Amino acid sequence: MADIVLSNVHKVYGHVVAVTDINLAIKDREFVVLVGPSGCGKSTTLRMIAGLEEISAGTIAIGGRVVNHLQPKDRDIAMVFQNYALYRHMSVRDNLAFGLRNRRVPADEIAAAVSRAARILSIEPLLDRRPHQLSGGQQQRVALGRCIVRNPKVFLFDEPLSNLDAQLRAQMRLELKELRLRVPTTSIFVTHDQTEAMTLGDRIVVMKDGVVQQVGTPLELYRKPANRFVASFIGSPSMNFITLRVSADGEHFALACHGWQFRLPARRFPHLGSHVGRSISVGVRPQHVRLGAPVNDDQIALNGAVTVTEQLGDEQLLAVRLGDGEIRIAGADPDLSLPTGTQIEAAIATDHLHFFDELEQI
Amino acid sequence: MTDIAAAPARSVGFFFALAPRGKAVFFALAATAVCLLFAFPVFWLILTSLRTGTGVYYVHRGTEFTTDNFHEVLSQEIVLRALFNSFMISTLATVLSLGVTATSGYMLSRFKGPIPNAWFSLIYIFRCVPYVAWVLPLYFVTQKLHIFDSYWGLLLPHIAVHICFFSWIMKGFFDGIDPSMEYAAMIDGCSRWGAFWRVAMPAAVPGLTALAILCWLYTWNEFLFALILTAHETPILTVVMAQFVHELGMEWHLMSATAVIALVPALIVTLFGQRYVIRGLRI
Repeated sequence: MADIVLSNVHKVYGHVVAVTDINLAIKDREFVVLVGPSGCGKSTTLRMIAGLEEISAGTIAIGGRVVNHLQPKDRDIAMVFQNYALYRHMSVRDNLAFGLRNRRVPADEIAAAVSRAARILSIEPLLDRRPHQLSGGQQQRVALGRCIVRNPKVFLFDEPLSNLDAQLRAQMRLELKELRLRVPTTSIFVTHDQTEAMTLGDRIVVMKDGVVQQVGTPLELYRKPANRFVASFIGSPSMNFITLRVSADGEHFALACHGWQFRLPARRFPHLGSHVGRSISVGVRPQHVRLGAPVNDDQIALNGAVTVTEQLGDEQLLAVRLGDGEIRIAGADPDLSLPTGTQIEAAIATDHLHFFDELEQI
Repeated sequence: MTDIAAAPARSVGFFFALAPRGKAVFFALAATAVCLLFAFPVFWLILTSLRTGTGVYYVHRGTEFTTDNFHEVLSQEIVLRALFNSFMISTLATVLSLGVTATSGYMLSRFKGPIPNAWFSLIYIFRCVPYVAWVLPLYFVTQKLHIFDSYWGLLLPHIAVHICFFSWIMKGFFDGIDPSMEYAAMIDGCSRWGAFWRVAMPAAVPGLTALAILCWLYTWNEFLFALILTAHETPILTVVMAQFVHELGMEWHLMSATAVIALVPALIVTLFGQRYVIRGLRI
């Protein structure tokens, strides 16, 4: 068993608080992604788990053993770094064998483990090359090989795909998923890319300013974001937000801003009652805005002029002026001709509306 | 305004206006001129070393050449001892300096905190003091420690100077080496020291080689410390060379022959090391 438990973990550099009160329980063989913008504390958290940073307060336990004061080498972990961190004066074979040699594993076992890892990652022809003779993708495979060859309790990934071009990154994502099936191990993956987070993670931990914003499965985060930050960070293109003022209107709540207003039945949205007379933020994903007039009472209408269109081949992304702001619409027919200024009508199912106050989802 | 702007453009344009062949010729001429400037004193030195004692002053008149000067200086015991001492001092100073400089540069590159800061300040202050200013205090210190005119009396000051000067360069080498390689080693089973020794040091070999060569040449050519801190017990080549100028006259032919002998190891080290120096200093 190699579950990981972080309890009240803090990290402070001088007067700068990098990570605040992280509590996280990662199950054995679970793949958890830490995601957030630069400086959110995700890499610091990973490095604390690895033992490369001291923990200012709290405890980290791996496999039921508190590792706060253990050296990285004694934690039975393996780590892939953003820039691969291959030993450049050694061949690929020696890179893979380095960790096993340090642990005084017999030579025949090392040879067997290296060939197994090389076979899994299809790097057998590269074993006698030096790291500088490899492409970025090949170096990344060797870095992964160095991890799996030791069969550790935990894999840690620190933005391992960031240095690859977009095409290779997509390919490596798939390979990582395949690798997970072949070598199921508890893993923590740090990235700033929400697509990587959504595609790879069993669960995702969204962080901002050193604080965990939400922990959940990819779908939970997408469908029920805890706050406006998570809503904007997860999903591509990111969620639209419009600030609307709530007022009571008989059995309905009226939400209005300059140039747009709609009504929602109070019975279905009782939580809006406490915000009457105040402004709230309404979020809607670009994919949930459909061109055309509403077809039933559960949809609300919006009208506006097209400002920009982006052709993606299989769909068009539109930016539509709505009152003082702009709303993005995804999934428009790519053959539609929508010159700037075209007035369009669109509909949003009320189920797809998200309501946020300053702190969290209402 | 247009005229003012156009004027410098015309003067800068002279070189760019040349045809590619013209540029190559221009470069070749310029390079030759620079090489001659540096090569001429060496040429004159070799010429003087091959002249007789009296012929030195009449180079333009005679064509009489001899290798007797080399035989004469190599038959002097003090020259041979000086050659041996200079070689030993240079080699020992290089090995010992690099031992300290590598760890010192690594600390300055990788660690933050009061100890690295204090060390950084210390070598910064030592670097600010002019080299010449150290000589007289060092003379008294070596006298006091009873290491005057011994290997240690010359080695320790050299090592101290090298540490101050080369720790900075070594820090630069380690700054150029990605620290995550060491983190990977620490996760792979190494201690911090093990990561330094087995991963960072091998990666710094080009830099270390460059420094070793610079360090060796610097000590081999050094004159001032050797002059003040040694006497008859530990003759050093640069000082012995200078002693051909004495109260009875100046034996330029012998001095030149000794200088040419001193030039040979330096030339071998330079030729062997130049590609390492260029590669190492490029990191």
